[in-house]
Amino acid sequence: MNPTLDAGPAAAPTTTANTVELRGVSRWYGNVVAVNDVTMTLRQGVTGLLGPNGAGKTTLLHMMAGFLSPSQGEVTVAGQPAWRNPEIYRTLGLVADREAVYGFLTAWQFVLASARLHKLPDPAGSARQALAQMELTDVAQRRIETFSKGMRQRTRVAAALVHQPSVLLLDEPFNGMDPRQRMHMMALLHRRAEAGATVLFSSHILAEVEQVSGTVQVIVAGRLAASGDYRSIRRLMTHRPHVFAIRSSDDRRLAVALLAEPAVAGVDVGPAGLTVRASDYGTFARALPRIALREGVRVRQVTPSDESLESVFAYLVAGPSGVAGPNGGSA
Amino acid sequence: MNGTVAAISARALLGRRRFLLLLPLPVLLVGLAALAHAAQPDPTDWGGPVLAGLGFGVVLPMIALLVGTAVLGAEIDDGTIVHLLATPVARRDIVLAKLLVAAGITAAVSAVPMYLTGLIVAGGRLGLGLALASVLGSAAYSAVFLTLSVLTRRPVLIGLLYVLIWEGLLGNLLAGSRLLSIQQYTLTIAAKAGDTTLLPDKVSLPVALVMTAVFLIGGTVLAIERLRSFRLTGETA
Amino acid sequence: MAELTAGAGGVRPAGRTPGGVIHDIGYQRYTGPRLGRSRVVLALFGHSLRTAYGLGRTAKAKVFPGILVVLGVAIAVVAVAIRTQTGEVEVNYLQFVDTMSVPLLLFLAVIAPELVCRDLRSRVLPLYFSRPLRRSDYALAKLAATLSAAFLLLAGPLLLMLLGGLFAQTGGAHGAWHEITDFLGGLGYAALTAIVWGAFALPLAALTSRRAIAAVVIAIGFVVTTPVVGVLMSLGGTTARQLASLANPVSLVSGLEAWIYRTDVQDIGGFGPVYLLVAVALVAVSTAVLLLRYRKVAA
Repeated sequence: MNPTLDAGPAAAPTTTANTVELRGVSRWYGNVVAVNDVTMTLRQGVTGLLGPNGAGKTTLLHMMAGFLSPSQGEVTVAGQPAWRNPEIYRTLGLVADREAVYGFLTAWQFVLASARLHKLPDPAGSARQALAQMELTDVAQRRIETFSKGMRQRTRVAAALVHQPSVLLLDEPFNGMDPRQRMHMMALLHRRAEAGATVLFSSHILAEVEQVSGTVQVIVAGRLAASGDYRSIRRLMTHRPHVFAIRSSDDRRLAVALLAEPAVAGVDVGPAGLTVRASDYGTFARALPRIALREGVRVRQVTPSDESLESVFAYLVAGPSGVAGPNGGSA
Repeated sequence: MNGTVAAISARALLGRRRFLLLLPLPVLLVGLAALAHAAQPDPTDWGGPVLAGLGFGVVLPMIALLVGTAVLGAEIDDGTIVHLLATPVARRDIVLAKLLVAAGITAAVSAVPMYLTGLIVAGGRLGLGLALASVLGSAAYSAVFLTLSVLTRRPVLIGLLYVLIWEGLLGNLLAGSRLLSIQQYTLTIAAKAGDTTLLPDKVSLPVALVMTAVFLIGGTVLAIERLRSFRLTGETA
Repeated sequence: MAELTAGAGGVRPAGRTPGGVIHDIGYQRYTGPRLGRSRVVLALFGHSLRTAYGLGRTAKAKVFPGILVVLGVAIAVVAVAIRTQTGEVEVNYLQFVDTMSVPLLLFLAVIAPELVCRDLRSRVLPLYFSRPLRRSDYALAKLAATLSAAFLLLAGPLLLMLLGGLFAQTGGAHGAWHEITDFLGGLGYAALTAIVWGAFALPLAALTSRRAIAAVVIAIGFVVTTPVVGVLMSLGGTTARQLASLANPVSLVSGLEAWIYRTDVQDIGGFGPVYLLVAVALVAVSTAVLLLRYRKVAA
């Protein structure tokens, strides 16, 4: 009778119920612009909101969650405006970044209260499930003020999940979690997304975003710098050369041949192999085997060495924002 | 009104050790009245200072201040209010629940000693009059301090200035400010309901009753409306 | 930007044995003499005193103490001006301290929470107590700072009044000496007031970690006992009337003034020594409460 939290396709809501849309959203405080003309649409799946501290991630999340009004633009959840609209919380769950909890309540009491406040038909059952999901059943009768930071975090997530929201917003949710808990949480977020939810979490820790989702919204100094799969974003940044590490049977010979290729911007010869900077990924990828074959060099290893989110991110943060990526790509 | 919100708020106020900080005030009130009565059964000289000076002047407003700002202001300060607001519960229900808890606790902690004091001073009629005025005063004060908690980031300080300076200092000096002083309403209601001349009734009874209602209803409506537009400021530091 | 490409992501030079080396960048452990506990306490005292007046903090923290300092100085200046103009002493040193009673109360209600509540709220006490600083040292240093700050608020303007008085007085050397003794008397009364009020206010502030609530508690502490004094006075009987002022710290100190300086600001009959005893007891009990509070607080 109780739908499980890992519901199958039968429980998947319609697309519009879990769509979060921002259109031309800006937010300023006096002279300081916290969010600058952001347009994005979030649909089912896990999206990472990535950006350095102070970039406007929390401001954006609060606007999506209806806790801040945009100075300009519209924020809608499932087609309804998010601001001054308590009804959105029937299908929206928020895990804020402040560590605030009612310390004097036990985990059970807190999640149960959350279930009741969400007007669920079976508060006790839903609370029990949420606690089990977050592996808090054993400690549920202890007061939250006795919990460690990671346990408090999980309690807050349990309280936000108890009504099985189809939109889940989390602000730096992996803070204070140990690696095992982090993996567990990532798996949970993925399961929620597969069940039909739109999950958005913010982070400034690149490793987290890399592991949880390939889909990313990068926000830098209040502007949306890039959206979409981070590997695709990387490829779109044709201003930046791609870097490959190549090991072969005859590095120097290969290096000479590669330098003749127009798609190659530079080659470094090092003790561990070649480091090749290619200005055009596609052309270089096609040219490399052809050149190797012609020169009779056996290529042993080709590693793209800067596909990581770190280099993408560092470039977006440090560079003159010359990214030609499209705004408003869908998740 | 929402039961869960009320339960959490009540637990937050009553379950903590710091609630005991409130108790010296009622004890002092009753103790002083008992002492004075033992020394001088005729309350003509000391009745005014005890009931008006200590009771309605300090004990009731201070208890209301501490309870009324803690019930919502402390939650906003800590950030735990998000757990209540991120739910489909109507803002009206949240405010009413907290108002009920704040007014209820304030009334209980003030009306009971007031009744006992009245009993000591002049008997049951006075006791009931004082208790009634305490209950109505608790409601009005709680609404005001609840609203201050939503409107400003320093509700305690502003509430303190209101009680000490507006009601205390100026209320005695300027006739006009008496019309806007909850303390004066409670004094009048107590004087009329308790049938006593010990208390000054500088404001007429109809005005006192109407203005108490205005503060209560007006404060509540304002708090509800402002809570609907509650904003979490961007970054936390 | 070129450095980034080489460092980001994957390529590691093969064949490097894992190991570690501590580089010598000139870091040295300090092996010289260390100042002892008394210097730590002194440093804490000095820091707290500066905090009370907003020195070393943002401009916003200087506003409130600044207003009160200006107020005190203004009253002193007016008193001196009246004296030079009319030759009459309208406000003598003792009366000045009485005039400053409300500002002094406000001052205590604001700085006492500043000194103790912030440390409690941000839970930095473990940092303090992991130094050669005992819990009692911390409490007493804060108390000393509170009392000194309150005393300075009064003493500064009093000094101004002395200077003005020395110029305005007409008795020559004898008159100057008279002036100085009056000043010392006023200074003593200021010290008395600062000590009793300050010692009463600080433990109240240490009860809570929220500054606003602490201010309310201090306000209650001073205000709630005022009607009590009124009630006790009206109970009739000379004894009751003379002893009533013991109930409130403000009137307690006034009573002491009446006894020590033989003014008639209050009628306390022959109970002067009782007032002194109660004042000393109040300071002792308050200090004990403060010490107890810090012995129990989590570190």
